[in-house]
Amino acid sequence: MTQKSSGFFNWINTRLPIVNTYERHLSKHPVPKKVNFWYMFGALASVVLIIQIVSGIWLMFGYENTEEGAFASIEYIMRDIEYGWIIRYMHTTGASMFFAVVYLHMFRGLLYGSYHKPRELVWVFGMTIYLVMMAEGFLGYVLPYGQMSYWGAQVIISLFGAIPYIGESLEIWVRGDYYISGATISRFFALHVVALPLILIALVFMHLVALHEVGAGNPEGVDIEKHLDENGVPLDSVPFFPYKVLNALVAIGIFGIVFSIILFFFPEGGGYMLELANFEEANPLSTPEHIAPVWYYSPYYAMLRAVPDKLGGLVVMGAAIAILFVVPWLDRSKAASIRYKGVLSKIAMTVFILSWLMLAWLGTVPVTALRTTLSIIGTIIYFAFFLLMPIYTSIEKTKPVPERL
Amino acid sequence: MKKLFIVIFLFFGSQEIFSAGGAPCGDYGECDSFKPELENIESLQLGALTFINHCYGCHSLKYSRWGRVASDLDIPEEIFSNNLVFGKDVKLGDRMTGSMEPSVSETWFGIAPPDLTLVTRLHGSDWVYTYLRTFYEDSSKPYGVNNMVYPGAAMPNVLASLQGQQILACKDVPMIASNGGVRRDEFGNDITEEKCGYLKTIEDSGSLSVEEFDEVIFNLVNFMTYVGEPSRVDRERMGWYAILFFVVFTALSYLLFREYQKDYH
Repeated sequence: MTQKSSGFFNWINTRLPIVNTYERHLSKHPVPKKVNFWYMFGALASVVLIIQIVSGIWLMFGYENTEEGAFASIEYIMRDIEYGWIIRYMHTTGASMFFAVVYLHMFRGLLYGSYHKPRELVWVFGMTIYLVMMAEGFLGYVLPYGQMSYWGAQVIISLFGAIPYIGESLEIWVRGDYYISGATISRFFALHVVALPLILIALVFMHLVALHEVGAGNPEGVDIEKHLDENGVPLDSVPFFPYKVLNALVAIGIFGIVFSIILFFFPEGGGYMLELANFEEANPLSTPEHIAPVWYYSPYYAMLRAVPDKLGGLVVMGAAIAILFVVPWLDRSKAASIRYKGVLSKIAMTVFILSWLMLAWLGTVPVTALRTTLSIIGTIIYFAFFLLMPIYTSIEKTKPVPERL
Repeated sequence: MKKLFIVIFLFFGSQEIFSAGGAPCGDYGECDSFKPELENIESLQLGALTFINHCYGCHSLKYSRWGRVASDLDIPEEIFSNNLVFGKDVKLGDRMTGSMEPSVSETWFGIAPPDLTLVTRLHGSDWVYTYLRTFYEDSSKPYGVNNMVYPGAAMPNVLASLQGQQILACKDVPMIASNGGVRRDEFGNDITEEKCGYLKTIEDSGSLSVEEFDEVIFNLVNFMTYVGEPSRVDRERMGWYAILFFVVFTALSYLLFREYQKDYH
């Protein structure tokens, strides 16, 4: 800030800490100087969040939240609104890409122990964001009111009915009706466009404030706070601006290429992002042959189907998400990063990822006896990875973590 | 270890895991491939003509508007209104809502003919292209025809006058041994067996040859693919610019990143 222009900024800054906040959280915020591409997905997640909010607002201009009008209004956006199709595909591609970058971001956390002390709360806020995203994605998927919207909602809402005693009333309370109807659409619309985005933004804010308090991690798991210069800035750090902004710009560029390829050439994502059955208006009298969730829910859907009992399936699915929250307390390893962890952790991580991918695929295909067996095995591996973590991370021999980055 | 990999490979390679619920085109098996030519305006115009003359009587295109079709297909409004639009009170801004009341058609056919705006997106153009060409004579059905892709379809073969009579015929095909090869007798000649269920068109029973009929269906499905997503040509054209933009963006930001990285490396 030059002396001349500082008058106005000083006036503002003594009343509202713009400059301090900007310097603390952006321009001078110290970040580890050596990170790899895995550390880009957090920034990309915030880019996708902005894409979703902006495209979502534009979609609302043309969307009609009624039972009769919902499906037709999507086609109105696709055909009659100038460039409405870009807005719509941005939002559908964005939904999938949001989950893609968040899954990669979460995997980064597991890989490099980003949840290790003192970053437990960063992880917990992140997991809460993921939970809200799942709800947000589900609510949004119902709004176009195609066949898969309807029957997907039918499956998910009926899960509430499996809860003992209050289940049935809860189901009706969620739907706002005895069956999925206009009442369901309008409340899902309100939740999707107002309530959950507000919560999401608040959580993202908390996630970032907590992160900036403890500082970002790095692939080595080195604590850069141990070695500070005379100003109290970590020696192994660089200021966020311009260095990490440039990192992020490269990542955004590559992301933009991937995003454009999907949006402009494969908007249906082979039926995994926009399910083809959803090109038919919801019909309560005709159940689709095969009800499958979009790819980002499929591992948990596979777990749900692996358990023959409805309530049991619901509990397993809920536990699968809940267990992620306590990972910071399950990992007893002295080393944060997989690079310095022992062989047991490496084996566990590999088996876990393979079984997660297998579950993701199983959740998208029709059930057979063999596939159910595979889903059960995958579910057991999923839980074993977390439940055995306190054991294998404490008995294995870790390599010494270096002092400096 | 090697054995373990083989077991895993066999396990995941086994048919049961990956086989889907049935062939995509029903009794026909794999659908015939259809590659749309959305910039072939002549094909789209001919397809539109076929649709209006043969399909629109029962099936609507209710999300599409007359005027949009006319302008996208380069048909002058006057020619379009006089030759393609049903009814004089229809305006070009109106939606193509069909000429039959759903309640009436439900009484006639037992089921209201579905709207076809999005049918190529729902089933895929391959499916529609195959479906329309696989009607065959079957006297056990109310309309005397059945369909290989969608057995029991409640739709008459409205294009029969063009296609002619198509029947299910039998023919001799090489017998396949259990190892997947063709079975041969001791002289090395292929052993054949009679298999049925092949479509055969009776010659000169329709006004078009098989090739001409396939072309009519090609144009029709091409038009239906266009109607399914009228902005598709624009989308794919703009896509290249978007990608180009991000490639340049990535290159420039990478150069800048590399330059600044020298400060701390």
